[in-house]
Amino acid sequence: MSARQLWEGTDAKPWIRNLNGRTKLVFLFLYAVLMITIDNPRTLYILFLFTLLLHGLAGTSFSKWRVLIILILLGLWGSMLSQALFFARTPRTPLLVLIAPGTPFFGPLTGGLYIYREGIIYGAVQGLRAVSMLSLGMLVCWTSDPRQLLNGMLAWHLSPQVAFMLVTAIRFLPVLAAETEEIMIALRLRDQKAKGPFLAIRHLPYVAKPLLARCLRRSQTLALSVVSRGFFSDKAARRRQQWEGRERWFCLAFLLVTLAVLFSKVSFLLSEQGLYAGSLRGFYDFSSLYL
Amino acid sequence: MQHPCSAGKRPMLELRDVSFRYKGRPCDTLRHVSLSLESGEMLLLAGRSGCGKSTLIKVVSGLAAGEGEDRRDGIILWNGEDMTDWPPEKIGLLAGTVYQTPDDQLFAMTVEDEVGFALENQGEDPAVVRGRVKEILGLTGLAGLEKRGIHQLSGGQRQRMALASVLITKPRLLILDEPVSQMNPQGVRDFMELLLRLNREEGIAILMIEHRVNELARYFQRLAIMQEGRIVYDGPLQAAWTFLTGRGDLGLREPQCVKLGRILGLPELSTDVAKTVQEIKAYCPPPAAGAGVRPERAAQTPSPPVVAAENVCFRYPGMTDDVLQEVSFSLHRGEIVALMGCNGAGKSTLLNLLGGLTEPSAGRLLFAGSPRNRQRVSTGYLLQEPDLMLLAGTVWEELKWKNDTLTDAEAEALLRRLHLEQCRDDFPLALSKGQRLRIVLGSFFAWHPELLLLDEPTTGQDEASLQEITALLRRYRDTGGTVLLCTHDVELASRLADQVLLLSRGRVLAYGTASAVLSRQNLLAAGGLVAPPVLAVSGALKIPPCITVEEVCHYVGPATLGRN
Repeated sequence: MSARQLWEGTDAKPWIRNLNGRTKLVFLFLYAVLMITIDNPRTLYILFLFTLLLHGLAGTSFSKWRVLIILILLGLWGSMLSQALFFARTPRTPLLVLIAPGTPFFGPLTGGLYIYREGIIYGAVQGLRAVSMLSLGMLVCWTSDPRQLLNGMLAWHLSPQVAFMLVTAIRFLPVLAAETEEIMIALRLRDQKAKGPFLAIRHLPYVAKPLLARCLRRSQTLALSVVSRGFFSDKAARRRQQWEGRERWFCLAFLLVTLAVLFSKVSFLLSEQGLYAGSLRGFYDFSSLYL
Repeated sequence: MQHPCSAGKRPMLELRDVSFRYKGRPCDTLRHVSLSLESGEMLLLAGRSGCGKSTLIKVVSGLAAGEGEDRRDGIILWNGEDMTDWPPEKIGLLAGTVYQTPDDQLFAMTVEDEVGFALENQGEDPAVVRGRVKEILGLTGLAGLEKRGIHQLSGGQRQRMALASVLITKPRLLILDEPVSQMNPQGVRDFMELLLRLNREEGIAILMIEHRVNELARYFQRLAIMQEGRIVYDGPLQAAWTFLTGRGDLGLREPQCVKLGRILGLPELSTDVAKTVQEIKAYCPPPAAGAGVRPERAAQTPSPPVVAAENVCFRYPGMTDDVLQEVSFSLHRGEIVALMGCNGAGKSTLLNLLGGLTEPSAGRLLFAGSPRNRQRVSTGYLLQEPDLMLLAGTVWEELKWKNDTLTDAEAEALLRRLHLEQCRDDFPLALSKGQRLRIVLGSFFAWHPELLLLDEPTTGQDEASLQEITALLRRYRDTGGTVLLCTHDVELASRLADQVLLLSRGRVLAYGTASAVLSRQNLLAAGGLVAPPVLAVSGALKIPPCITVEEVCHYVGPATLGRN
């Protein structure tokens, strides 16, 4: 699979491809709210697994799974490792001593370097939040026609210019991926002397300029093409207000669930501060167990 | 010279004294342009890069409406009605625009969605849209590809899809901005035949911008030429050749038959081979028996090969067939070799092998006589998209990038050689297409490579730019450099290349001097190439096969010079 095909969404299952852009955006937004609200590692883990289940149901291809897994592992491990090393809150339990405080030179310099148990858990929670949204974001990118998302944003009266810029980024993902690959080859060909395993990393700063310049030109042409095909006409505006009933009900139900979770969590936090109401006991229990 | 509009007949599209100036520009990009187009007419609009052609398209499409600080003057009429202030979406229904690179104008993910996009925006019922999409895809030769992803199509198919996506609203005018500039000869022929069919059967008027006048002349009756924002010629195409005499500044490549007629001093210049032959027969006496010997290029002293391929094969991972099959050839110092063949022949794969981006699956590549000498033969490889090779902030920095040995004096001399001394501090990606290509070439020249690999460097270049590039390559060859130039342009290969390596389906179909390979009709046909028109002329005149105008003139020229 080429870099370009990797970022295309045509291989997704029709049920998710045909969803209204607004449904996807609402789901993405509410999921983000849930991920911020919830602190419980098990619940976060379940929500994370749910995003993977959605990928499975959407028919995400093997190559895309590979990319997703690499990004998830990088995100998760990066977050866990950095928090494990630099966790500053107390209490903290050292699991492993990397540099003892008594070690000559590095000991006094670092004050000792440890792997903290609480850091790993905290990093996992933060990491799960990040990779869940990454996973869901990728799902939306891989299954959405740019028109769906643009229609969704415009239906909510977002500025056409801003909405177009946001969505163009997704539209050009496949092309950008292919061009980045070509620019890396071009850099290799231009820099005859460069050798070594980190060549690609050394060349990264030079990738942006040709890529951005071409993006700018391309966006102009795309904007002209879209405008002249009536995308911003009144008729198109009326059409984009259509939103299938079932999807709207789903979004409404999910909104209510999210609000309930938010209410439960906020009331629980307030109870911890002394604002306690006996009638909300069920919410407190639910929050302490699952949120 | 302006096109005389048919008396009493109202043109479909009419521009009256239209001028346009972009915000911040010191002068107008369009200057008092008056142009008209009748229903069902085909007009070819040509001119050098940057002469204002694309701006003209934007103005007609309503996309350069003089809003903000841009300024537009003059009137644009559609069937006599003032359309100057119509919104682009209204104009788009009547006049659909197809741009140079289809990738840049496609928005949806599948063919069906892309083609139906404009109708969807009109609020049409999905069933109606689907039916119309099917109909248009059939018309444009894309039937059955409805569910395909847009990036799964070939370049030619994508351009057809871009065309289909504007045809869906049944426009009366198609505006095409260099739609064939990236295509091979077969692709151009297919696309132009499709346009002709649309013009004849659907009555759609066509306004095409293109500077490959030599290739497209036979499809059009009328030509308009722009220079510095003005229309300097508008009239019948056949009459344009007289106007173009001595007008190299217009940047147009004239067809070989026209050039031949001009050099021979024929009374009428024509793109038609039969007519040119008829004129030559009428005005030029037949060549005397044994009239001259073919003007072969000076024979080169054989030098050891810089690179040699011995039975090279290549197969991409996961594929079952070899893309290159037992390819053998050698490239020598001081020669330009044209690498030719239709799409899928294996040209780019071969360049990648020589450029060190991949390794052969079987066979050997010998650099300076040994497979271990790759590093000893310094190689510059220009990719098909030179813009991706521009990395620095100024032209000067671009030449100096990773070229530590290049002194300032050498860089200055190189700038002069590239004719870029005025652009020294300009941002490379903001320059013209020809200038951008010359910068990348210059960045290679800066470190004196022994071998230069060029992947279709002349695509989309106007004639003036082409002349500058060929001059640079000749000079490089004359200083001992070796060039392997991948191109579809037979005329360019015939006048520039010493040798031609013709590939077909991964095999070497022919390898020999340009005159030996390009003068064989059957070989060219097998390689998916279009024979140069003078080859047919020489055949009809029963003189030895010729591939350049100069060669024909060698046989018939001396007797006719001075006739007119």
